[in-house]
Amino acid sequence: MKITGNSTDQDLVNFFSEMRAEDSAIVVPPFPKIKKSKSWSLIPLGVAATLALLAWFFIEDKAIQTLDHDVIIITLEAGQNNELKFKIESTTEMESWESPTSSLLTDF
Amino acid sequence: MKKSHLENLLKEHHQAAYHWSRQCCSFDEDLAKDVLQQVYLKILEGKASYKEKSQIKTWLFSVIRFTAAEWKKKVKNIYPLEAEFDVAETEQEVTAACHEELIEKLPERQKEVLLLVFYHNLTLEKAAEIMEISIGTVRTHYDRGKRNLKELILKKTQHENNW
Repeated sequence: MKITGNSTDQDLVNFFSEMRAEDSAIVVPPFPKIKKSKSWSLIPLGVAATLALLAWFFIEDKAIQTLDHDVIIITLEAGQNNELKFKIESTTEMESWESPTSSLLTDF
Repeated sequence: MKKSHLENLLKEHHQAAYHWSRQCCSFDEDLAKDVLQQVYLKILEGKASYKEKSQIKTWLFSVIRFTAAEWKKKVKNIYPLEAEFDVAETEQEVTAACHEELIEKLPERQKEVLLLVFYHNLTLEKAAEIMEISIGTVRTHYDRGKRNLKELILKKTQHENNW
């Protein structure tokens, strides 16, 4: 229902046209420049940083493992009085290795 | 609707939107600017979405009215009684010089409907949509508003003539 030229409303129409005329003098602020939200643009950066952190954590240089005391050679040797002695040695490398059952092969 | 297209539509209605925002904020220009800025942000961030069921102007005015009411609530923390109900109109001395002061004397809903119809040239149906009330209720506010404003104008004229 649009207002029509009702004579009884004419004073109201005049009132509001005067009001509009007064308002035309008001300086309307310019349409604001809406800044785009930057939160979305930070997501790839966050993902990249997380991946880099994970990579650094998992691809860390493995500690060099030395063979110090890793190989223990226990031998049972016969002494001068035919008593048996345990000889325990530790070494970093297997210079010589004899199978504990090799005597079985030679004895036969 | 594309964001750029929506932004262009908002720009087209910016002037009317600013005046409506001012009217919803009891003609407080600073508050009106803040409210309008908030409205544009709401719209462009998708917090208020235009479904194209109504005209863009009707929808925009509705968002402005709602946001202004939110801000008023925040500022005052008291919801004015006359916003919901028509309080009994009291006899008041009319010495207001300008139109704004005169229209501010009306109850909130009467003020809104008269501004939408007479100032913004909207229909009563559109006013009902903006004010989120039935067309019947709008008609009631419209008739009472017209009667009250006419009385106020008459009193003002009489007051001016006496001086």
